[in-house]
Amino acid sequence: MLLYSLIFPIISIIAIVWFIFRYLNGKNSAVSTVLWALFWIVVSIFSLFPELSNNFARLVGITRGLDFIIILVFIVLFYTVLRLYFIIDKLQNDLNTVVKQVAIQNEITLDDEEE
Amino acid sequence: MENEVTAEDKNETYVVLPAYNEATRIQPVLESIAEKGYNMVIVNDGSTDNTLDVILESKRKYPNQIHVFSLMINRGVGVATQTGFDAVLNFNPKYVVSMDSDGQHSADDLDNVIRPLVVGEAQAVIGVRPLEDMPRSRNYANSIMNFLTKIFYRVDVSDSQTGFRAITRDALDKITINATGYLISSEFIREIHDNEISFAEVPIETIYTPETQAKGTNTTAAIKILIQMIKHQF
Repeated sequence: MLLYSLIFPIISIIAIVWFIFRYLNGKNSAVSTVLWALFWIVVSIFSLFPELSNNFARLVGITRGLDFIIILVFIVLFYTVLRLYFIIDKLQNDLNTVVKQVAIQNEITLDDEEE
Repeated sequence: MENEVTAEDKNETYVVLPAYNEATRIQPVLESIAEKGYNMVIVNDGSTDNTLDVILESKRKYPNQIHVFSLMINRGVGVATQTGFDAVLNFNPKYVVSMDSDGQHSADDLDNVIRPLVVGEAQAVIGVRPLEDMPRSRNYANSIMNFLTKIFYRVDVSDSQTGFRAITRDALDKITINATGYLISSEFIREIHDNEISFAEVPIETIYTPETQAKGTNTTAAIKILIQMIKHQF
């Protein structure tokens, strides 16, 4: 058995357990927990049975199994970056709203300065 | 004269001034506006220098004309202007002007900028800077921004990046500004156009100094605005 065939399934199990705990603590949605669990299951399957990647690669018209895995990883990374971008964008907007409201409700008077 | 801006018009006008680290420049700006008889809403945009102290010094001289609000952290000229536009509604203005607080705009132009609103010629006005007076780099960036505003927002204006603009209260209620940075200039023009608000361009004087040139729409800001314009299409 190759080393990665041992390491990746262990990492996958830890990751899946971690995502389940996050879901139980209300930090993850059910959908994202399922998606991440699926991703790590796929990682485990490919690391235990690497020749399977060739079958999937041929299925989508890619010649080598490794290329298929690399493309898959790129798609997952792109999705993650995009999600992070939207989350940050929303946080920025929420922050702007709060900062604006606090400022509007607290007009600065000369009395404030003297206090 | 019939077209003259009266003291009553000025009293019903509020000038919104976003200010970020303008401690060395803002005081003459505020006091020249106050001397003209206009009211002001100044939004300190989380300045890290003593801009707020300087503003309060001016407020001590003109306590009834100057109203001060302060963002606890720096959020950009767009958010500061939005705050000013929201805060100004508390004072029930008839006309709202926004201008830069770094001294690049002259208070002498205020009468000219609000005149089309007062006489009913337009509901919104932008102060247009003469392109030939602009430093070359600024002129170049501005031409690109005018072109992009035309492409993305389908509005043809002489100066899409001007920070000197005026609007009636009724028209202000119709527009929605979401831009956080310098995109606000193009967004203001887009909102005016999309809401079919009658609008006029008025030539204004612009005072360029090394400090005023360091801010505003340079090439880097133009690229950021382009990215935001593309994003706003979706």
